[in-house]
Amino acid sequence: MLATIPSAIVLGTRGHQVSVEVHVSTGLPGFTIVGLPDASVREARDRVRAALLSSGLPWPQQRVTVNLAPTGIRKTGSGLDLPIAVGLLVASGRLPAESVAGHAFIGELGLDGSVRRVPGIVPLAAAVAEHVVVVPAGCTIEAALVAGPVRCATTLTELVAALIGDEPWPDAPAQPPPPPDIAPPDLADVRGQGVAKLAIELAAAGGHHLLLIGPPGAGKTMLAHRLQPLLPPLTPEVALEATMVHSAAGMALPGGMVRRPPLRAPHHTASLVAMVGGGTTALRPGEISLAHGGCLFLDELGEFAPAVLDGLRQPLEEGVVRITRARAAAELPARFLLVGATNPCPCGQGGPPGSCSCGEVARQRYLRRLSGPVLDRFDLRVEVHRPSPDELLGPPARDGTGDVIGRVLRTRALAAARGLTCNAQLPAERLDELAPLTPAARALLRLALERGSLTGRGLHRVRRVARTLVDQDRGDDVIDDGAVALAMSLRVAINDRLRMSA
Amino acid sequence: MSSAPHHLPAAGGDPPALGSIPIGPPVLGEAAAAAAAALASLPGITPGRLRRLLAARPPVEAWALVASGDLRAEPSLATLAARHPRVIDRWLQHVSTSPPDQVAVRCAAAGASVTVIGHRGYPESLQSDAHAPAVLFSRGDLAVASKGRRVAVVGTRNATAAGRDIAVELGAGLAAAGVHVVSGLARGIDGCSHRGALSVQSDPGSAAPIAVVGTGIDVIYPKEHQQLWDAVAEAGVVLSEWPPGTGADPWRFPLRNRMIATLGELLVVVESRATGGSMLTVSEAERRGRDVLAVPGSTRSRASDGTNQLLSEGCPPARDVGDVLVALGLTPTPGSALAGGRRRPPEPVDRTVLALFGADALDLGDVARLAELALVEAALALGRLEAGGWLVRAGSWFEAAGTGGGRGG
Repeated sequence: MLATIPSAIVLGTRGHQVSVEVHVSTGLPGFTIVGLPDASVREARDRVRAALLSSGLPWPQQRVTVNLAPTGIRKTGSGLDLPIAVGLLVASGRLPAESVAGHAFIGELGLDGSVRRVPGIVPLAAAVAEHVVVVPAGCTIEAALVAGPVRCATTLTELVAALIGDEPWPDAPAQPPPPPDIAPPDLADVRGQGVAKLAIELAAAGGHHLLLIGPPGAGKTMLAHRLQPLLPPLTPEVALEATMVHSAAGMALPGGMVRRPPLRAPHHTASLVAMVGGGTTALRPGEISLAHGGCLFLDELGEFAPAVLDGLRQPLEEGVVRITRARAAAELPARFLLVGATNPCPCGQGGPPGSCSCGEVARQRYLRRLSGPVLDRFDLRVEVHRPSPDELLGPPARDGTGDVIGRVLRTRALAAARGLTCNAQLPAERLDELAPLTPAARALLRLALERGSLTGRGLHRVRRVARTLVDQDRGDDVIDDGAVALAMSLRVAINDRLRMSA
Repeated sequence: MSSAPHHLPAAGGDPPALGSIPIGPPVLGEAAAAAAAALASLPGITPGRLRRLLAARPPVEAWALVASGDLRAEPSLATLAARHPRVIDRWLQHVSTSPPDQVAVRCAAAGASVTVIGHRGYPESLQSDAHAPAVLFSRGDLAVASKGRRVAVVGTRNATAAGRDIAVELGAGLAAAGVHVVSGLARGIDGCSHRGALSVQSDPGSAAPIAVVGTGIDVIYPKEHQQLWDAVAEAGVVLSEWPPGTGADPWRFPLRNRMIATLGELLVVVESRATGGSMLTVSEAERRGRDVLAVPGSTRSRASDGTNQLLSEGCPPARDVGDVLVALGLTPTPGSALAGGRRRPPEPVDRTVLALFGADALDLGDVARLAELALVEAALALGRLEAGGWLVRAGSWFEAAGTGGGRGG
């Protein structure tokens, strides 16, 4: 007999519906899975057999063939255990076909017959949303974000009883209380660092990528962690994309939807695949996708493998990353705010000219680790110095996170009124229209270009930052020379020391 | 090697057909120039061997000899042929692959002219030197190297901002006073002294820069000096004893230094560590009886260890362009071409900001805090002061630019 059970697999952050066809016929007892299963799916046979026997259900002593359609895509993940088991029960006559009609099944089986959660429930459920979706207990909240009726299954025995109608469907387990809101780190905790704090505020308000350069202990990490709380909550559309990514990566979603901008801070030993996503079949999302809508903080930027940093270039431009393998391809969302932190030189001390003990060659080699194209994508590049004793012992800063958030939201609203998500997205060809310059500002930029302290590409970035500065300050239409001068000071030429040594 | 100078007058009379009346050095024919360039391109021919060979025979004849493979006839190479037959084998291979006409084409492509010692156009200042290069490749106007007064300005590649400032000022001041600046186009002090010299080329009476490089004339090293290299060749001349295409090998640079020491009537060391290329140039200059001047530096700066050592050994100090001009026997004109003399006074609003800058470098945040200005105001003031030449920027740091006294920051 034949049974066809709808289920799903994840590729990238998207679920794909898969029909699990189970055929049971006379012949030598045996069990075959076809339709490009990978190792984890092939192992389903042993888990399903043990689960059925533990649950007191029959294992057919017949010839069993399981086909996973469409057969062209490679199948991965243990979420196909449950549909295979259900299909087997239907095909062998243990369950009537009508009882499973209109149901889709997702779940992994334990040897004792329990149904376990699988990563990627949100995209999986989204792929079979037209059915009644049966998911492991504990996944119902996530599945309900995208699918209509959701049922939960705790064990195979319970599931069979519910399907036959002997017992009602079990209730979803009580939702654990949402994690208590930990007060986010406040910008007011940072003493001194006026320039760096301004840069943090501008990065949040205008979506400008930020590079912090400074010696250890200057407060780079402290500053970077105060950026994410300044970001506005995610729009529903971005929130759904971020939720899909987190679910596909197998991360717990205690609050259901991801609504706050995420903060990802991978260690500098991260591999290219861990950073941009990939893997042979599932194309698991990487850190840049997990940071979608939020902030990707790369501490010790210079220590990341050059290939990993260069892998960021295309996603930084396009906001998506397209991962292609011989057998699969996926497009993952990756629009994030990049915050980098680096020491100025190998000894880390940096500081005013002449105070560092590194040789010229060592310093050049260190800075050269940061490739030009990557450096170029930072609209804001500020040096963070150790605060002076006066600043450390002085009165706390006036502006806290709460004050800044108000300004950030206003600037974001102004950008939205211009039809942009943020000022960093200002297209170069619309700069004259959306960020017009006063004559004095124009003269200042001309001088900088003539002196070679500003490049053509740097010019656009400086103008975008100046736009954000003016929006944050008072929201004038025109950009004045003060904003331009400040925007230029917030984009330190990292190669200055190299240039000057020539 | 020590006998080489005695050959020179004889070489000057070469070829004998030109007669016995000295009417100035002979003109180098095209074929002879090509042959000389081809000889200089031979693998493993050292400056010494080349000099001895060309002292004994005119270039075309010397090439024919090398091409014949029988070097026993030539005493200057007989020992070499006997002791290192492999070198001769390599030469023979080279003779077939790089004949003079091809080498000439390569030189022309690189924009290099060829001069041979003892011939017309060869700089007189090099002519009399015992270790002068026999074949000289040049790009630009070689005549520059034969006229006027010349001062070599050298120093460390790893220079401080102050050192670079001083090198620029010295270069500009000397060139404006009509003194040719001789240097090596290396990173740091060398490049800066030529930058300074180039900055006053539009002034009437200024002297063109002379560069001596340790690579082929078309192999820019360091790469970032491409523009500087071109500008020096355009305004003055770039010299090399190596044929076009010769790469940057560490051992060639000390050899280059001996030419710098020879070409300069004086040697000024701006900054140098206790050991290094500049100190080698100093010993080359001293060997040739050239005076060496050193720019005094902070006793705490490693970059001034070498120059301070020179001062303690009795070298006269070069505190500014005036000291160098006096050492040359010239009269310094007050206020000549010092960068500080040309600055417009800062706006009154910026004076408070400028007043904050003493010995220490400050950044935007410091300035805003100390002057109690908004960041916008501070950024504007710093921008104006930098544009006016009152401050120099290194990364996010600002330092007071060299004061009018010419002694740098």
